[in-house]
Amino acid sequence: MNSATALIQLHGLSKSYRKGGEIIEAIADIDLEVQETGMVAVVGPSGSGKSTLLHMLGAMDRPTRGEIIVAGQAVNRLSQGELTRFRRQTVGFLFQTFNLIPNLTALENVELPMEFNGVPKAARLDRAKSLLERFQLSPRLKHRPRELSGGEMQRVAIARAVANEPRLVLADEPTGNLDSRSGQIIYEVLREISRERTVIVVTHAENLARLADRVIHIRDGRLLDAPLSSKPGPTVRSERAAAS
Amino acid sequence: MGMIFLGLRNLLRNKSRLILIAVLIGAPFFLLLAMQSIGQAVDQQTAEMNKNVNTVLQLRARGSMGHVNMTNQDRLLPDKVVEKVRAIEHVTQVEPYLLAMSPTTLPNFAMLVGLAPTAVKRLESHGESGNPRIIAGRDFTPEDAGQDVAIIGQGYAEWAGIKTEDIERGRATFIVDPTRTHPVIYAVKRPKRELRIIGKYASGYVFGDLQLFMPIDTLRSIFGIDQGTSWVYARADSVDNVAAIAQRLQETVGDVADILVPKTAAIFTATTSRTMMQLAGAGGVLAFILMVVVVFFVLLMQVRERAREIGTLKAIGASNGGVTIQFLTEALAFTLLGGVLGLVVFRLLGEAVTGRLFALGLGPFLPSQYKPLFNSLSVSSHVSGSVLLLVVVVAVFAAVLGSAYGVWQAIKLSPLEAMKDE
Repeated sequence: MNSATALIQLHGLSKSYRKGGEIIEAIADIDLEVQETGMVAVVGPSGSGKSTLLHMLGAMDRPTRGEIIVAGQAVNRLSQGELTRFRRQTVGFLFQTFNLIPNLTALENVELPMEFNGVPKAARLDRAKSLLERFQLSPRLKHRPRELSGGEMQRVAIARAVANEPRLVLADEPTGNLDSRSGQIIYEVLREISRERTVIVVTHAENLARLADRVIHIRDGRLLDAPLSSKPGPTVRSERAAAS
Repeated sequence: MGMIFLGLRNLLRNKSRLILIAVLIGAPFFLLLAMQSIGQAVDQQTAEMNKNVNTVLQLRARGSMGHVNMTNQDRLLPDKVVEKVRAIEHVTQVEPYLLAMSPTTLPNFAMLVGLAPTAVKRLESHGESGNPRIIAGRDFTPEDAGQDVAIIGQGYAEWAGIKTEDIERGRATFIVDPTRTHPVIYAVKRPKRELRIIGKYASGYVFGDLQLFMPIDTLRSIFGIDQGTSWVYARADSVDNVAAIAQRLQETVGDVADILVPKTAAIFTATTSRTMMQLAGAGGVLAFILMVVVVFFVLLMQVRERAREIGTLKAIGASNGGVTIQFLTEALAFTLLGGVLGLVVFRLLGEAVTGRLFALGLGPFLPSQYKPLFNSLSVSSHVSGSVLLLVVVVAVFAAVLGSAYGVWQAIKLSPLEAMKDE
């Protein structure tokens, strides 16, 4: 694997926090590289650290130690303003609970990141409509989140996540609040958008993870050597792998 | 500009939240306007009551009743006292009186009172009552000064056999005899004087009706008193200045005069006037604090409950400054809407509701003797521009502070922490 072309490079990444006087190590010394485009599933049981890893990749949380490089930017060294630009232009985030702005319509929710990014009104309106049409949400443009189903809300969230055409989309349990049929549709949409960018999906659903191009297993804050996926394996150098 | 628009759009999209917060802010706004209105009304009412409170101080020669022919009680105030009293600040009127006693049917007697024709007809021992009502004939005019004319009390007229019709026709007379004596009245060797009775008065109490008023110079000439005064009445310009004038009188003429301060003025100042102003002031301050606290916490809470939204906005690329502008715009709009709501309700219902607020909130603290006077408290729903401006500026300041504090708490966190902080 050529590191120079990798979209994501993690070096000795660790995250610990204090809970009731005890130090919990959520992520322990992870090294990882992820290439441009394709879908990567991060799989592991609850509390394994997969969401923590995702949050740090998206500059939603800061690591305790180590380095995160995304699209050539050392995320943990960025200033507040640079972090804002990073979240605006480089990553798109999907939440398990969708996190749409409740007072805005589907169209306005998709427009919002483009508004932050300074895209002119007409251009962002066109792109937002086009994205929502692409995800079969044309009849729902003027609907507010409470008027949408879970699957529809997550598709609006995906449209919002890709509105500024980021190179990386991070999805934290995107089907966790959906029925299996809706979950399947969301995975298909994620697979579709992963043809143009890297999509990293955190899940504990092995069957959905099998749809990914790569699967990374994580347990107790550490990456496991052997991928459970039959698809082409990830480029992983866990602590143990490095030691051996 | 975009974040300002987003703030306003957010505001209008959630109507139930908009109404709830506008009401929460409008209610203390209304209360504050009501309290300032009560304060103004109390101020006006107190000023009105001050006009009717006795603010007249009485001076007599030290240890003497000042009656020119009364045994051991005939010492008079020197003339210089009148001039000194006139020179005291806040004294608006000085009225000298000369009094003599005249026996009737033993052991009773009547009072002869000399005064300036336009002065208040004060009753001996009830000087503060003043101004008996003319029931026949006419009152004095300035032209009566120095003339042998008098106005007689109805009891004295009855004793003297003076008929009302004679007074009306200008035929009634009364002879003053300074030589007549009584156990406490000594004879003054002066000739009798016949006075024309031009009017008859009623005072409302028995001894008050046993007086004969005449121009002071007339009484002086009857009893041969060239100098000195029995009583001097000094009127203060305000009930608030009575105590200071009494103090000044004590300093300047206290060596020769006894100074009688009207009790009603002291009581009024010490109770109603001061209590009312203090209560209204305290009510205003409490309403002001309440408004600031409510506005601050309402806006703080409305930001705090949206920490998840702030975290999401940051996660999708909103800057800290943008989030702050959005929420401050909302806070400003909420406050102005709440203020308008409070003002409109106050203009519509202010007079009725404020009166009840006053009765419930301040009424119980009033001294009982003054409660009836405040039943007629006239509360206006008018709000002065300067008061409104002050209230709005303070409310906006509190709103911005509350909102900014809430936003600051959220934006200092990472997007993830902000979402979890809700």
